[in-house]
Amino acid sequence: MKLNPMELYNLLPKTNCRLCEPKTCMAFATKMALGDVLPDDCPPLLEEGFEKNLEKLRELVAPMQSAEETGIKLDDSKCTGCGNCVVVCPVDVAVEPETGHGKAGKSRDTVFIVENGISKIINLEKCRRFPPDRLNCRVCEQYCCTDAIEIW
Amino acid sequence: MEDIVCSGCALLCDDVAAEVKGEEISSLGLCRLGHQHLISSIKMHDAKSVVRDTGTEKTVSIGVALKKASEILLTAKRPLLYGWSHSTDETITKGIELAKSIGAAFDTTASLGLVQALIHKLHSKQLEIDLDYVRNNGEFILYWGSNPTESSHRHPSKFAVLPRGENIPEGIESRTIGVVDVRNTETMKMANHRLIIPPGADAELLDALSSDILGKSPITGDVAGISAQELLGLVRNVKKSDCTVIFYGSGLINSGNTEANLSGLQTLIESVREAGKQAFALPMATEPNIMGVTKNAVEAGDGDTLRRLVAGEFEAALIVGDDSLVELPGPAAKAFASIPLIYVGPPGGITDAKARVSIHVADSMLLGSGKMHRLDFVEVPYKQWSAHPKQPAAEFDVISRLHELVTKGLK
Repeated sequence: MKLNPMELYNLLPKTNCRLCEPKTCMAFATKMALGDVLPDDCPPLLEEGFEKNLEKLRELVAPMQSAEETGIKLDDSKCTGCGNCVVVCPVDVAVEPETGHGKAGKSRDTVFIVENGISKIINLEKCRRFPPDRLNCRVCEQYCCTDAIEIW
Repeated sequence: MEDIVCSGCALLCDDVAAEVKGEEISSLGLCRLGHQHLISSIKMHDAKSVVRDTGTEKTVSIGVALKKASEILLTAKRPLLYGWSHSTDETITKGIELAKSIGAAFDTTASLGLVQALIHKLHSKQLEIDLDYVRNNGEFILYWGSNPTESSHRHPSKFAVLPRGENIPEGIESRTIGVVDVRNTETMKMANHRLIIPPGADAELLDALSSDILGKSPITGDVAGISAQELLGLVRNVKKSDCTVIFYGSGLINSGNTEANLSGLQTLIESVREAGKQAFALPMATEPNIMGVTKNAVEAGDGDTLRRLVAGEFEAALIVGDDSLVELPGPAAKAFASIPLIYVGPPGGITDAKARVSIHVADSMLLGSGKMHRLDFVEVPYKQWSAHPKQPAAEFDVISRLHELVTKGLK
């Protein structure tokens, strides 16, 4: 999670109006940092006088919106297809044990697969970060040498 | 998808698959380098045979090109046959036979450094180990002057850093990784020990580590700009590991202090062994059959050919699978450019464009025949696959036919 809930909270109207689902501004900021809600989900923020804050919040969450539901962003242009993510992903090793021994994943049951020279996420829902579990697993990001994988 | 062997680099990955459907080329497991190599090998639309003479260029049949090539080789008093690191073992053997038949010098791209390393006394101590052993046992992995993230993308994930092995149950968690380089490299992201040293300081650092491991002269202060604390931590981890493997690259071989660096590496390996642990050293190389060619060059190759080329000893050259006019240092490239050249390889590059005779050949990966030597000297045979119906001639056939023509011409 790269967004700081306090930073987001400071840009909210802080009225605790209870018009949104999380009910309080602090809870809304925390949910926004996790990508569960968007600035536009806050009704008072859409009112006159908060234009600058709304714009700033949209800017802050924009990179996360391009990330997957797990918060994983995979930049094709940086990926070398080294397969580090395939080998270290615990889910991949569980569904195709040979990948844990360095073999290229081919079953298409894994989270990652190296296809046409670059890594792709083909079964996002199997990722340990996927809701509702949201485990704080970051091994793919940790061992991606070219920083092609970034977790928000 | 069909299983193939990739010829994109010296790892010769044999756990990958590819498929060609019309213009669409897809692959599984191939890294970016391998996939691009596959695409460029298949899309050889401009493959042809060309003869150039006094400013004119003519596309000819392969038979005409070979005849012209044989004339050039037979006319020259002392030709040089150079390149070969992209060729199969079978083609290299044929090349050596050709060299013997016409009294030509035979040399390879490996002579710029790798041969020096491998004929160095350190490799008479059986320091090579196969990469499967590294995967199963390598506890301390040290990349010295090599950056696999740029040159051999799958080296860390397939063999040396991340995979689990028989005695490495947790993969990278069961290993310690070190990287020594003159700059911050991508590979350092995975490393426990990141040592950035000034250029030319390798021997000093190697000696300091050896002395400390043997207890002769403990490290007490900075060495090559690295703090004693960091170095002692590295030594501690080397001593703790049952099996240390050093992958040394051109940063160590080609940094201008080769002999001292290789001797230092040898002493370090011996020190670790004296401390009762296993230690090995393997060179890192990029060209697919650099090890096959190295093995052959050590046994059959002529030494010092590039210096002799610059001195004007050779009157013509056959360059196989290498863009030498681009790759070699200026004086050697200029010397090549000043003599009649025959080029056999894929289309493209300055050597191809400037050669008196150019014969384009198919990549071994597509032909699926012959074998090469992987980075660790393990033989890897190519797998047959139905890649593409239209491919240029096989390199092996071209060299064989050239040999036949030259032999006839000699009679």
